[in-house]
Amino acid sequence: MSQNILKIDNVKKAYIKYNILGKEITKFSALNGLNLKLEKGQIYGFLGPNGAGKTTTIKCIVGILESDSGDIFIDGQNIKDNLTFLKKKIGFLPEQVGLYGTLTANESLKFYGGFYGLSDNEIEKRSENLLSKLGLEKDANRKVNEYSLGMKKRLALCIALINNPEILVLDEPTSGLDPRGVKALRIVLKDLNKKGLTILLSSHVLSEVQEICTHVGIINKGKIIRQESIKEIIKEIEKKTIKLLLKVKNIKKETIGYLSKNKRIKSLKHNIDKKHEELVLDLKEENIPWVTDYLVKNETKIFSIEPQKNSLEDIFLKETGGHN
Amino acid sequence: MNQVEKYLNLSRKKWNKKKTWQPLIIAVALIAIIAIVHKCYWESTTETSPEDIWDNKIITKDENNWTVIFEEEVGESITFKGVLRTSPKYEVYLNDTFVPGMYSEGEALVYSEDLYGKTMLNVSGLRILVNGDLTNKFFVSEIITIKATLVDNISTFNVNEETITLDREGWVAEPEDIELASTKDNYFFIAEFFIFILGFYLSLKRINDLKWQSGLIWHLAKFELRKGITSPRMIVLGVIFTLFIIGMGWLLGDLQNGDPESAFFVQNANGALQQLCFFVFFVVSLAAIGVSVDSFHKERQANTLNILLAKPINRETIVFGKALGLTLVVGIPALIAQILGLIFMIRAGDIPSASGIIAFLVCGQIMIFTLISFQLCFAIAAKNGTDVVMYGLGMWLLFAVIWNLLIYAISFIIGIDVTSDNFENDPKFQSIASHLGMLNPAYVYQFSVGLLTHRTLAIDLEGIPGWLILLALVLWPLTCLRTAAKLFKREKQG
Repeated sequence: MSQNILKIDNVKKAYIKYNILGKEITKFSALNGLNLKLEKGQIYGFLGPNGAGKTTTIKCIVGILESDSGDIFIDGQNIKDNLTFLKKKIGFLPEQVGLYGTLTANESLKFYGGFYGLSDNEIEKRSENLLSKLGLEKDANRKVNEYSLGMKKRLALCIALINNPEILVLDEPTSGLDPRGVKALRIVLKDLNKKGLTILLSSHVLSEVQEICTHVGIINKGKIIRQESIKEIIKEIEKKTIKLLLKVKNIKKETIGYLSKNKRIKSLKHNIDKKHEELVLDLKEENIPWVTDYLVKNETKIFSIEPQKNSLEDIFLKETGGHN
Repeated sequence: MNQVEKYLNLSRKKWNKKKTWQPLIIAVALIAIIAIVHKCYWESTTETSPEDIWDNKIITKDENNWTVIFEEEVGESITFKGVLRTSPKYEVYLNDTFVPGMYSEGEALVYSEDLYGKTMLNVSGLRILVNGDLTNKFFVSEIITIKATLVDNISTFNVNEETITLDREGWVAEPEDIELASTKDNYFFIAEFFIFILGFYLSLKRINDLKWQSGLIWHLAKFELRKGITSPRMIVLGVIFTLFIIGMGWLLGDLQNGDPESAFFVQNANGALQQLCFFVFFVVSLAAIGVSVDSFHKERQANTLNILLAKPINRETIVFGKALGLTLVVGIPALIAQILGLIFMIRAGDIPSASGIIAFLVCGQIMIFTLISFQLCFAIAAKNGTDVVMYGLGMWLLFAVIWNLLIYAISFIIGIDVTSDNFENDPKFQSIASHLGMLNPAYVYQFSVGLLTHRTLAIDLEGIPGWLILLALVLWPLTCLRTAAKLFKREKQG
């Protein structure tokens, strides 16, 4: 039986503003009884629209914020009982990376490594290893002020990993990174996961999550509304029909009439613009060849065929109420 | 009944919540009990208001027969406890200090040659004649106990060629009947000190990872020191305040050799040292503002705090570590400036007492820690950098510049005529000024150095007992640090 490295149990958190007399003036409930389970070895994608409570959840996990009620367990232990000790098991990369600009990468790692009681030798060894893994070995003695945003993110990731954490928590790790940086980060995360590191990452880039995560949780209005393995989600996507977008000419009325009545086609839309006519068909993937054959046989000229597969984004939008 | 149960439950919950600090709270409660016993001891074994006895004497001037009578019976012995309001060395009757046969209104006696070599002590206003020279045996402001006996004697003197007979009662004592109150106070103070240390130790033992967090405090402090001491801002401030303190040290040394009638005359080296304390505070508090601006507020803006907060360090440790580090950033250059200022002061004037010099340097560091912790409260609570600086400057203005105006205003409100000549020597005004001084770290610093230049802690500086000064010296940094930690911890609520 696999063990929960992270378990969040009915956590509530509200941001309250008080006036000068201590009277509550505004209250925003960021988390409304959030439940989440993360097993060892997973890469958990934490998805949600802006203001859904992703960053608040992450801040509660790493101890920056304190929940109003509910419990957070790291490796079976409640963080309320010994937060400081449990923090040693966590690595954290915030969305907005802030580093001391006057320090070099080596000095930064030495400073942050010092919080784990590591000896200078041990820190040096780990720093060397991490910096080379993240492609910063040549810049190890440059001041952080001179780094690009991508380099800073990579250094912050080194800092998050200096304690060999059991769980790595990343808040929007790819924000601000160029495509090369995103790809490099993806490779590093997959590599770390292969070595046993459990990862929780929040992201807006759904394709990113779909690509690297093993599990996904969707949060909306401070609650997890769906939590599943990525395999299950892909299965669901595959079960669904796909949209087929065809740019055509000379399509006969009878052809449209036949297709719209045919059981293989769930829905059909026919739009006409200046250049082409457009057919939008809702059908199963296996019926695409039959449709194209039928159109060609009925003297329809096809200029382009564009299948639009359902994706995690569709599921995300559906779950969070973002669909039109 | 329900209300009582509710209250008890609430109190029990609150008490259980303070599990870590329970031993310290118990210790403080015990100290309070000992303090009450201490007070009761003096009240039951001594007369603690000698001034009332002196003020209640009855002087009758019936033509040529004058009498001075106290309410007590002649031959009665009372042990008084009071403060030496004047220095005994200036109260010894010598050949040239009086004209024999003259009546002294203030001392209620007729001067005679048999007074030579005796000392007229001023014990909290009560005049007691001691049969011996107390020069350099007791000093001004010291709290003493003195067993005095009421005697009666008759003397004559001339006023406008008329002979007046004075039948007076007066208090006399032998030198061996005088003791420093600290001989008894020390038992109580030592007991209180050990109980406090024990309570504090037991509380610290209840902190789970104290050793770990202590190491982190030092780790963070070293980091702040390295970062801060080399910053251009600190280098500029350091040079400015060093030059200022050296200049003031030299000036205060030189003023000891000046005209005693001058308003700027400094009586002795210990007095000069106390004044130098204020000038150290004056510039060092500005440096404290300078270095604290960059701490929490700037870190929050630069997002460096989030990474730090995710490390295995608690918020109190972060505040303590930063306070300690920033104290070293200001404290090390300040210590150098203080030593240089002292050297220049000693070269131009006299050498202050060794305990005074140590107090000047050590209490200086405590004062810097206090100011830094105070500033950190602003740095944590303020919404932007401008607010941090403005609040800091406001504090500096209040403590270093307009404090005296505040004292005048309060004195005026409670009915002291602050427009009269010599109002600053009015004991009531002095008492207000010194009590309010306990609310100003600059004055606490000065008073502490003043206290520690004495041989005993059982002294009274313008109405403030020594223990209160020491308590203020301890409570100021602790309160500021606790407030800063509490403000920073509150951020956990979001």
